[in-house]
Amino acid sequence: MSIRSSIIPTWCPGCGDFVIYSALEQAITGLNIPLENLVIVYDIGCIGNMADFFKTYGIHSLHGRCIPTAVGVKLANPKLTVIALGGDGGVYGEGLNHLLSAARLNIKITVLVANNHLYSLTTGQASPTTPKGAKTKSTPLGDPNIALNPVAILQSVNPEVFAKHVDCKNPPEVITAIKDAIAHPGFSLVDLEQLCVTFGKQLTG
Amino acid sequence: MPDNVYTVKIAGPAGAGIKSSGLLLSNILLKHGFNIRDYSEYPSLVRGGHNTYQVSFSAGEVFAPHFNIDIFFSLISGHWQAHQTEFSTNTLVFGDDAAIPLPLKELTDQVGSPVFGNTICVGVGAFLLNLDKNICSECITKTYGSDPTNISAFDLGYEYASKNYQQYVLKITLPSKNKDDYAIYDGNEGFGWGFIQAGGSFYTAYPMTPVSGALHFLAQKQSPTLTVVHPEDEIAAASMALGAAYAGARSAIGTSGGGFALMTESVSFAGAANLGVVFYLGSRPGPATGLPTWTSQGDLLFAVNAGHGEFNKIVLAPGDQQESFDLSVTALNLAAQFNLPVILLTDKFICESSASLPDLSAKSVEMIKSSIPVPGAPGQEFLANSYEHDSQGFSTEDPTQINQNVLSRREQLKSILVSVPKPTFYFGSQTATTLVVTWGSVKSTVAEALRIMDDPNFANLHFSTLWPLAPQTANLFKPFKNIIVVENNATGQFTQLLKSQFDFNPTRTILKFDGRPFFPEEIIKELSIIDQS
Repeated sequence: MSIRSSIIPTWCPGCGDFVIYSALEQAITGLNIPLENLVIVYDIGCIGNMADFFKTYGIHSLHGRCIPTAVGVKLANPKLTVIALGGDGGVYGEGLNHLLSAARLNIKITVLVANNHLYSLTTGQASPTTPKGAKTKSTPLGDPNIALNPVAILQSVNPEVFAKHVDCKNPPEVITAIKDAIAHPGFSLVDLEQLCVTFGKQLTG
Repeated sequence: MPDNVYTVKIAGPAGAGIKSSGLLLSNILLKHGFNIRDYSEYPSLVRGGHNTYQVSFSAGEVFAPHFNIDIFFSLISGHWQAHQTEFSTNTLVFGDDAAIPLPLKELTDQVGSPVFGNTICVGVGAFLLNLDKNICSECITKTYGSDPTNISAFDLGYEYASKNYQQYVLKITLPSKNKDDYAIYDGNEGFGWGFIQAGGSFYTAYPMTPVSGALHFLAQKQSPTLTVVHPEDEIAAASMALGAAYAGARSAIGTSGGGFALMTESVSFAGAANLGVVFYLGSRPGPATGLPTWTSQGDLLFAVNAGHGEFNKIVLAPGDQQESFDLSVTALNLAAQFNLPVILLTDKFICESSASLPDLSAKSVEMIKSSIPVPGAPGQEFLANSYEHDSQGFSTEDPTQINQNVLSRREQLKSILVSVPKPTFYFGSQTATTLVVTWGSVKSTVAEALRIMDDPNFANLHFSTLWPLAPQTANLFKPFKNIIVVENNATGQFTQLLKSQFDFNPTRTILKFDGRPFFPEEIIKELSIIDQS
């Protein structure tokens, strides 16, 4: 049974979000999660637009708030499988405190982060994972911040959480990582490396 | 001492047990069958400063604490001088350095610690009010546990008073009926009991005065059917409650103005995505950190206008502790019925003041449930969406769909107006010449003032629903020659709101904005100069 809606994805041709979309679908069907017990909470951003492309219980929440919204769903009904899906801007910038707190609580939700090192839906500004010195629309003189390392941060916050970095260039690895994350008994995060095909040229020079 | 209402006040530094001994006295009075209304003041610190607790009690009715004091205790030297405006020639002022010397330093040395000064004062008070010693002992043990030192301290105060203060005994007739089916509740407890009785199952709050008491109360009541969370910040608190509401929980969030400022994105989200949640908003004076431990009605327009965009919300305001319970139930039901944000706007004067009320712990109430499907139900999958969306929840930018959505929200307003609590005439009738308009916590004070005045020229119209306002509201004002609006803020925010909706021209507004609530004596003074001719 397909969990896709009838709406055709609107991402740019070649975007890594297509890989995450297929991988997430395969992980969900592969794990035989009853559809009625699945809730996906989407952040705001290109990846968050996936909300329209699945037909499951879901919340298209606010920018930066996919994690606390997902935590609320899980606390209210622990039987549900809860997945939060956001980008590097929402999860590592606007919502970083929520990420650290969910890891401290070690609540069993899975956070998937499409990490393209940029705010892309807003046409290419620097994000918390933009390399230092990168020239973007919001940092034309070079980003003065060092990039944060989400997996290292989570491991220092709580060694019991599942935190893994995988590259969208390798779809089978992405599927496995998402499945492992959902199966993990506590909090899990998969940081999904991507390149923004439209605005990412700023980062590669 | 008008109308057989008596007021006792205890003052001293923070940490001296002002509030605990005050509540002990209130519980003793309730056990004797008195009605009580209390009020406490304290600065935002943990030790030192100047704290007060006062309780007004009566064998008959009393709706609000009074300003004028009958018996005053200063726990250590220097704590009575600031209260001289509250004293009359009959006020009995006790303390080491007060008009009636009470050697508390010497007496506490006998008990062994200065912490027992408060209980010694309760003993003195019990003698002056001719209270039953057995009832007092019972209440002391219930409050402080079985340590006999508290009873000794009480006895010491009682004995000292019986030897030295015979001439000060107040001739009070004890109530003939007991009040065994009553208990003392502050506004936060009233809200908490209402939340529990109405099936509330998810409560989040980041600590903030004056609503932290609701968090503490509900945290103690956690069970498999009640989840209570103190998350990392107010934004998370609101977001979690919205997520929980989507998963089928009856959810509320507690906060004050500064925390609510951080939550307004979620107010708007709840309105857009049809998530029924209650924001329990306890006002204190702003701007910014303002006066954290004092009271205000300064956040009315903020609550009514909270959240970006145009969407439906309901703003309710309890007028006292009983209404904190009643409207807690109403708020949860309205949130479920209409799947939108409901703001329950209260203030420090209600949240942290107590009243004797019929038992709330076993009161059954009506429960209205949401008709929206919840996760776990097969085949009903849908998206709750912060974007403008179609009937399945998918995002849309189609102008026809947008117009349909906006107009259906406008249409929903009509059924909301039918369901929300209506303005009520609490005192007087439409034959009066002067209408006193109230909302929120001034209700109890105005009620007490009008009860004492007992003047057929005055009526009180109280608003429990502040938003939305029905068009026919304007007719309620028409029969009256004078319209007086009483508000605990500086800019007359409810007056502004009424003016924005109706042809509303009040004769005058009575405003107070120094962090203190109104007292009945102040209202009586203001109303007595109104020209009734």
